Amino acid sequence: MNIEIVNGYKEYNGKKVLEVGKLSFKEGFVYAVLGLNGSGKTTLLQCSSGLEAFSQGEVLYDGNSDINSVRKNISIMAQKPYLFNTSALDNIKAGLKFRKYSEQSMEEKVADYLPYFQIEEILHKNAKKLSGGEQAKVALLRTAVMETDITFLDEPTASMDIESTIRAEMLIKDMASDKRTVIIVTHDMYQAERIADYVIFLDKGKIIESGEMKKVFNCPEHNLVKQILKRGVEL
Amino acid sequence: MSVFIELFGEFYGEILEVVFLSIFVSLTSTFIASVVGIVIAVPTALKKFKLKKYIVRLSETLMSIPPVLMGLLVYLMLSRKGPLGRLELLFTPTAMIIAQSLLVFPIIFGLTVSTIGSNGKEIEKTCISLGAGKKETIINVVKECKTQLLSVVAAGFGRAISEVGAVMMVGGNIRGTTRVMTTYIALETGKGNFQQAILIGLVLLTVAFFINFILHRFKEERE
Repeated sequence: MNIEIVNGYKEYNGKKVLEVGKLSFKEGFVYAVLGLNGSGKTTLLQCSSGLEAFSQGEVLYDGNSDINSVRKNISIMAQKPYLFNTSALDNIKAGLKFRKYSEQSMEEKVADYLPYFQIEEILHKNAKKLSGGEQAKVALLRTAVMETDITFLDEPTASMDIESTIRAEMLIKDMASDKRTVIIVTHDMYQAERIADYVIFLDKGKIIESGEMKKVFNCPEHNLVKQILKRGVEL
Repeated sequence: MSVFIELFGEFYGEILEVVFLSIFVSLTSTFIASVVGIVIAVPTALKKFKLKKYIVRLSETLMSIPPVLMGLLVYLMLSRKGPLGRLELLFTPTAMIIAQSLLVFPIIFGLTVSTIGSNGKEIEKTCISLGAGKKETIINVVKECKTQLLSVVAAGFGRAISEVGAVMMVGGNIRGTTRVMTTYIALETGKGNFQQAILIGLVLLTVAFFINFILHRFKEERE
């Protein structure tokens, strides 16, 4: 599924937080949204995913602006994912339950994705009692097993260790190779370089540079992007 | 202590009737107010609309409405010349349940709205992001907040079981029909029978303690 944002404008209490003229996300690619704190990355993700509405402008999903008709084809992992007060396994199955999958189908789907993180030993623990990194893995698996056409991930690896981050990146790459569109917000430049096909740099609610990852990383045009890439550190 | 035991034996039958009616009226009204209150409060807490803050302020104001005023309003509604007079509910346990339900409703509604608050919005967004429908979202919000909601219900029950003004006015404190623990205490105190009043007071406290104990036990199990 392709997404197109047309004249997207978002304000909170009269204050502009995001202004996107035109932005497209094509099927089967990983897009990394980068920018400093408060640059509007999460707002862009929330408005693109339909969790929040733009104050002006619209989002088209394969040309369709009715978010409710495509809702079940979109999955989102929030920056601080909320896990239900039940086992990790039930949390992973939650999206499948909402989609009325049979118990056997759910077990099969979960089994397909568990090898990415090997978290069998925590599956029956209460998700609320897991560590931050474990919760992030459960939340990412919960998002992945739904196999939606579009997946939005807001800093999914922020609380993961290095090994888990690499595993999460493998999962994200595999999702995109399955013709799914993945849009990931990250502060990690190296992560963007490893997994993204396209990058979008935001500053003060505006896109300052976007395009193919290799092109932007090799020949940045905007001064801020140049500075960030030159420093070569995490934003 | 022996005086109390003697008195307890003497008035055993009547006390038992009074205690059971108190529990029945209070539990029924708390149940009705909780079901209606929570069902209305959850969408109110989750949605943004213009009148929301006024509705919340109104419910907060109604939380502290004097029971006698609520009793008067229900009395006027149910009295023979009132709009619901032909139902002949005045001075019946049903009238007491109506009055108490109306007293408890703002407490359940107001506390549920503030309890659900930002946590509820987070749960709602999670449910939406997982593809849940509206009904499933509301069910999940209630499920996730059930321990806090049990505290809300306990607060509502506290209001119901301890209330005297409204049930006195619409129930009439009729022996064997509408006499409950609080109205019994008021009556016996007026007659100067302090020992009976204190005895019923102790029973009232014990009943309130056990019902709250059960509610909190249930809450702890869920946690």
